[in-house]
Amino acid sequence: MNTPMYIIAMHIQGKILPETYEAVSFAQDLGSGQKTIIVLGSGSQLSSMANELSENTGIDVVAIKAQYLNLYNAESYKKIIKGIIGHGRSACICMPHVSMGYDLAPGLAVDLDAACITGIEAISPDASFTRSMFGGKIRVQTRPLDGPVVLTVLPGAWKGFDNAPLASGSVDILSVDEPPLTTRTLEIKASTPKDMGFSDAEVIVSAGRGIGSAENLLHIEDLAALFPRSAVGATRGVCDLGWLGYKHQIGVTGNTVAPGVYIACGISGAVQHLSGMRHSGLIIAINTDAHASIFRIATYCIVEDVNTFIPILLEEYKGQS
Amino acid sequence: MPYHVYMKSHVARGVRILVCVKQVLDSAETVSIDETATDETATWIRFEPGTVFRMNRFDEFAVQEALRIRESIPGSVIDALSLGPDRVKKTILKALEMGADNGVHIPVETKKYILPYMRASMIAEYAQNRHYDLILTGIMAEDDMECQVGQLLAGILGLPYATSVIYQDIEANKGTIYVEKEIEEGRRECMDIDLPALITVQSGINTPGYPSLSNVLRARGQQIEVMEPSRCADRMDREVITGVSYPSAGVSGTFIDGSPQEKANALLDILHKNAVL
Ligand SMILES: Cc1cc2nc3c(=O)[nH]c(=O)nc-3n(C[C@H](O)[C@H](O)[C@H](O)COP(=O)(O)OP(=O)(O)OC[C@H]3O[C@@H](n4cnc5c(N)ncnc54)[C@H](O)[C@@H]3O)c2cc1C
Ligand SMILES: Nc1ncnc2c1ncn2[C@@H]1O[C@H](COP(=O)(O)O)[C@@H](O)[C@H]1O
Repeated sequence: MNTPMYIIAMHIQGKILPETYEAVSFAQDLGSGQKTIIVLGSGSQLSSMANELSENTGIDVVAIKAQYLNLYNAESYKKIIKGIIGHGRSACICMPHVSMGYDLAPGLAVDLDAACITGIEAISPDASFTRSMFGGKIRVQTRPLDGPVVLTVLPGAWKGFDNAPLASGSVDILSVDEPPLTTRTLEIKASTPKDMGFSDAEVIVSAGRGIGSAENLLHIEDLAALFPRSAVGATRGVCDLGWLGYKHQIGVTGNTVAPGVYIACGISGAVQHLSGMRHSGLIIAINTDAHASIFRIATYCIVEDVNTFIPILLEEYKGQS
Repeated sequence: MPYHVYMKSHVARGVRILVCVKQVLDSAETVSIDETATDETATWIRFEPGTVFRMNRFDEFAVQEALRIRESIPGSVIDALSLGPDRVKKTILKALEMGADNGVHIPVETKKYILPYMRASMIAEYAQNRHYDLILTGIMAEDDMECQVGQLLAGILGLPYATSVIYQDIEANKGTIYVEKEIEEGRRECMDIDLPALITVQSGINTPGYPSLSNVLRARGQQIEVMEPSRCADRMDREVITGVSYPSAGVSGTFIDGSPQEKANALLDILHKNAVL
């Protein structure tokens, strides 16, 4: 692919999200077209982010500056990026599949009459992109037709950009003054602290919807109690049901954990959950569905009903000791 | 219609809400690739008779949020829409049982995967000129995991939007909606958006309730509006599916075999060896 490529930098509160560099690596793998990084922001934060991007990647940076760009706003981003790229031109626009990325990409694609492909995990030789469906049970290859294309890159699928470039790219800072008309981004609220003692836990036993009911949490707690330093985790689904509080949630919008042993009980293995626990030492998964995606990252897989298996496990443990 | 006129009229009549509900395969179901596909039908998924489908969970939260808005603004009306083959009528019925006022079906009988842009275009075709004040979708469909149709629909209709909404406070008399979006590390991005607008709902925004008996009975007798065949054509597609496959074998872990007791003992051994027991 040698069409011009643009990477949209994503940042929160003056910090470039590391996934931005993964999108740069993706673009490098994708083709040899002229590359530009676009970053939008305000004040001195913008210049330091622009310099950081050009130094770390060696790619030219276009930085767009306005007071109202201190916070992300899809309406502004769409208008400004369309202005830079131009309508109808063949171009490839890449960004990470983070909250700002999936917010922006489809809307931008409509404005540019572009194809939009989200959550890309791999590139195939015929220039198709691979993405997962059905909770990771199926892989689909899809190829954009002629014309511009907007792509979002699944976090973790590419390594960050770490081979230091010989020279920095150029940095162009441009001002704009066309505040958004129908939307106003007001502020970013900090998250509520949710320390569950996960960092001290050697073993985390986590519950998914597959446990079937809040009462069955007893099994999860009994299993966790076997280990001297343990904690109970959960999927978002379990927290949504009110079976456990959100502070137990593990995943991209919850806690990130990496205990020595992670025991996943009745968890399907959605990517959003996996990204919060994939670096655990040993992963043990218990699920009735032998095709569940959790088994693809588990070290040990047990196809059983958790609610009958855990009591048996506890019985056998008592028998042994 | 000038904007201020639009605002005055909708305060008097409550807000008109469209909520999009997708029918998906249950996460515990086996997914089989259709090996009998030909060039014309394109390879996609084969659904055996008896396969369990249900409403996309994120869309349950969207329906529930629509109900909450209707509760707070008397006179509001909720239309629940689903696009797909005849079986999606069951999901529309579920939305009616939860309390939506009207059901809309966009019939599409195809064995192919319907791409997000096509789905959004067809939904836009229905929504255009129907003067919705607010359109709600889920953040993502659990089956195709695109995170696209809401934003595409907003783009096609020229509406402002917000994704991953975890809290909303609609101020119909001001013609705005305040939203909090869930972003990285549990932070929330707060926005004010002019109506009409579209929001994509994140799970946890509310607690979907069980349908009441009276709603279930009312829903049963209710007609579902069926949209005329869409004028959108395949040539609108901007991408083509070139392959469908199972994830490569051999990247999974070791399956522990035997009776439940044998598996339990094998697992205890592993835990001992790793010195956590
Ligand atoms: C933007 C975004 C952010 C998200 N963030 C997170 C996050 O941070 N964390 C998170 O967890 N999710 C997150 N999600 C949700 C995620 O996509 C999944 O919906 C969720 O992880 C699924 O939870 P689950 O595995 O408990 O439920 P399901 O997917 O419904 O899976 C239940 C599993 O239990 C199995 N099962 C059923 N009965 C039994 C039994 N008796 N014994 C054993 N197994 C059984 C089934 O085979 C199935 O595999 C996010 C989604 C989005 C869109
Ligand atoms: N076939 C459909 N019928 C109704 N709504 C849909 C359909 N496909 C997608 N949606 C809506 O768009 C949201 C995002 O879906 P997706 O872009 O497929 O991940 C879903 O949560 C639904 O609210």
